[in-house]
Amino acid sequence: MSDNKNTTPASNDVKLGRRQLLAGGLATGGIAAATTIAAAASDPLITEVQDWNRYLGDGVDASPYGKPSEYEKDTVRRNVAWLTADTQSSINFTPLHKLDGIITPNGVCFERHHGGVAVIDPADHRLMINGLVDNPIVFTMDDIMRFPRENRTYFLECAANSGMEWRGSQLNGCQFTHGMVHNCMYTGVPLKYILAEAGIKTAGKWLLAEGADASAMSRSIPLDKALDDCMVAFKMNGESLRPEQGYPLRLVVPGWEGNMWIKWLRRLEIGDKAWYQREETSKYTDLMENGIARSFTWAMDVKSVITNPSPQAPITHGKGRTVLTGLAWSGHGKISRVDVTIDGGRNWKTARLDGPSFSRSLHRFYYDFDWDGSELFVQSRAIDDQGNVQPTKDQLRAARGVSSIYHNNGIQTWQINPDGSAENVEIS
Amino acid sequence: MSKFLKAAFLALTVFCLSASLASAQDAKAGAKVFKKCRSCHTIGEGAKNKVGPHLNGMFGRTAGSIEGFKYSKAMRARGADGLVWNNQNFIEFITKPKKFIKKTRMGFGGLRKEKDRLNLIAFLKAQSVGGKASPAADGSAKNEETKTQTKLLAKDVPVPSHGILHLGRLAQLDEVAAWDIDIRPDGKGLPVGSGKVSDGEVVYNENCARCHGDFGEGIGRWPILAGGHDTLTDERPEKTIGSFWPYLSTVFDYVRRAMPFGSARSLNDNDIYALTAYLLFLNDIVEDEDFVLSKENFTSIHLPNEKNFIADNRKDEAHRAIKEPCMSDCVAGSPKVVSRARALDVTPDAKEGESVE
Ligand code: HEC
Ligand code: HEC
Repeated sequence: MSDNKNTTPASNDVKLGRRQLLAGGLATGGIAAATTIAAAASDPLITEVQDWNRYLGDGVDASPYGKPSEYEKDTVRRNVAWLTADTQSSINFTPLHKLDGIITPNGVCFERHHGGVAVIDPADHRLMINGLVDNPIVFTMDDIMRFPRENRTYFLECAANSGMEWRGSQLNGCQFTHGMVHNCMYTGVPLKYILAEAGIKTAGKWLLAEGADASAMSRSIPLDKALDDCMVAFKMNGESLRPEQGYPLRLVVPGWEGNMWIKWLRRLEIGDKAWYQREETSKYTDLMENGIARSFTWAMDVKSVITNPSPQAPITHGKGRTVLTGLAWSGHGKISRVDVTIDGGRNWKTARLDGPSFSRSLHRFYYDFDWDGSELFVQSRAIDDQGNVQPTKDQLRAARGVSSIYHNNGIQTWQINPDGSAENVEIS
Repeated sequence: MSKFLKAAFLALTVFCLSASLASAQDAKAGAKVFKKCRSCHTIGEGAKNKVGPHLNGMFGRTAGSIEGFKYSKAMRARGADGLVWNNQNFIEFITKPKKFIKKTRMGFGGLRKEKDRLNLIAFLKAQSVGGKASPAADGSAKNEETKTQTKLLAKDVPVPSHGILHLGRLAQLDEVAAWDIDIRPDGKGLPVGSGKVSDGEVVYNENCARCHGDFGEGIGRWPILAGGHDTLTDERPEKTIGSFWPYLSTVFDYVRRAMPFGSARSLNDNDIYALTAYLLFLNDIVEDEDFVLSKENFTSIHLPNEKNFIADNRKDEAHRAIKEPCMSDCVAGSPKVVSRARALDVTPDAKEGESVE
């Protein structure tokens, strides 16, 4: 490939002053030069009056709950049929390559169920607290709505996100390699307020959270975490939780693996030891090369991925001005920096972070550059405010082998071909 | 009734009224009951056979007669004997399927409540002709409820004394017992009971084998439950109860809470003891078919891989020491592709690749 580091101006930080923006300034500034090329023929979309410009569209009663444009049919969750035996114990993936900003719209937040989507009338829902407490308590949803509320934005990532990539590149698209993550603003009640109504006995060290679904999903959580920043949420992005996200009530466990964020939350038990449930023994333990398995690997490590360009979102405009963008996150805090390389890790440039930056939330980064049309190998590398640097896949394999399934936060490579198409690859 | 007053009623624990007032044959309520069937059956437009046959046109049809569906011998025999589904025999069947047709393959415990059975029939009939359930019945029941309840003033609602904000109510002992079904490795939570390996085999063959295989080997992509000894360091480890799981308590806890898939909580505690004993047998951890597992001897059994779990030590990994990564001329030479997704081509719509958990 050609030497991109020399042909690419370091124009990630575009600074447009008043002088450049005024007429004539652009020509010398060179930034929009390509767009001034005269078109061969005039565009009928401009020269002819279009239907939508003449006839009336739908009224306000056409769609009481709005839907995306009909031209956004591809902005959907997708599943990979061969992964699981059926769709009730299965996963689908967030279309990361179709989204921007940091918030994931509710309708495309990935789903992972172990017994299908429980459908529960909030009037029929109960939350029980029992175990090492002064008083076992039952709450209705009406009770929950009377606690003081908080709003927090957090990512939720499945520990198995990128889990199919341990032995090498497998799935062609960031939706499939990285789409088991979403980011929402939750409205809910700090867990400590709820537990205080039952009164925790001093011997209490652990919390068991359990769902009301057909898998009665259950996980042990250390009480310190539960009292620190966990929440019981009933809204996501301003509206009620979607059924597939645990309506009417779910646990929020900031920065920790998604399986712990119990949906359809119906019970919280305080105990003095962990329970070793199926999802913290058979699953969600990380098998190392030497046959030893790590248990209770809760935190999601620092990670990032370029969402565009990527295999499902090739470059279609030819050489010239190009927006490279992606997402970065860490279960340990905020993202402080994201570096991007387009020459396969030989040289790195620091990308521009844009949008709100919250602890344990997705961060959006951009790297704006002029593509010379040659082959690229693009990667991103995130660093969090605790000093954690996103590792390479080879560093992870050296430490763990390839059988651990979970917690693959290695650097992802996309090969961009001269025709603009992209592929999931690994390089040396 | 205002929202606020409704909350007051809840505090007075009269909240069960609305459910019991619903009219007897309510297709909408039946839709809720049908959720119990949905993991195996479909009905309505485009319904297909799944684990069980589709249920379109079921009333008036001979039992076991949908072409292309593999019924049990027992179900086909009843059809051949002239069993045609009607309200009466359907009620008998769905109350306790295994009592009505002894060897049916339908892994479903039964519908205990008369009301559920009637509502379900209303739903199945409404769906089968393609019609939609009418919400009217439900609405009128609600109105009645409003009428019969006398108005309560907010100031007359007692505030409980527990906690700090005094929200919620004290749980009843039987409520806690109904939901607190978790079991720990030290045996805390184990119910009274016992079960023999050979009894477990019968329960297993009836309720589990069609997904997990006759020997726990797993059919298709359904999970494998036995075998895989000494494979944990292999290229493709096989993680089973015998080869990987640390604690037997997890087997009992999980099977009781979640299996059989699609009919959770349908087996009794002795069945679960027997199944757990049989899973030990399938994994060569006990060898005697007469072995009885009970609350008393449960914690004396240890799974072979218990010692091979350690706490999270990711922070000790070598790459964690890197705090300032290289920015320029980091790697010599130009990049060479060593692995590409297209070589495998397992992205959706293509063939099978490696499984996720
Ligand atoms: C775990 C899966 C499962 C569940 C849950 C289940 N079924 Fe079935 N059902 C089956 C299977 C399998 C058969 C075929 C039985 C046989 O061949 O013995 C069947 C057969 C039937 C039949 C006979 C159909 C025919 O063509 O003769 C009816 C009726 C039926 N089920 C109704 C129901 C209803 C109603 C529910 C819910 C209350 C339900 N089933 C729940 C699996 C299930
Ligand atoms: C309809 C198919 C089906 C039937 C019948 C069934 N299972 Fe399962 N079983 C599953 C699925 C699917 C899972 C994984 C669920 C998940 O993803 O959480 C599972 C998981 C399990 C596991 C955990 C496996 C692991 O490695 O973590 C055990 C143990 C188990 N089943 C035992 C049983 C027993 C015992 C029965 C009979 C009482 C039974 N199953 C009946 C489908 C089935």
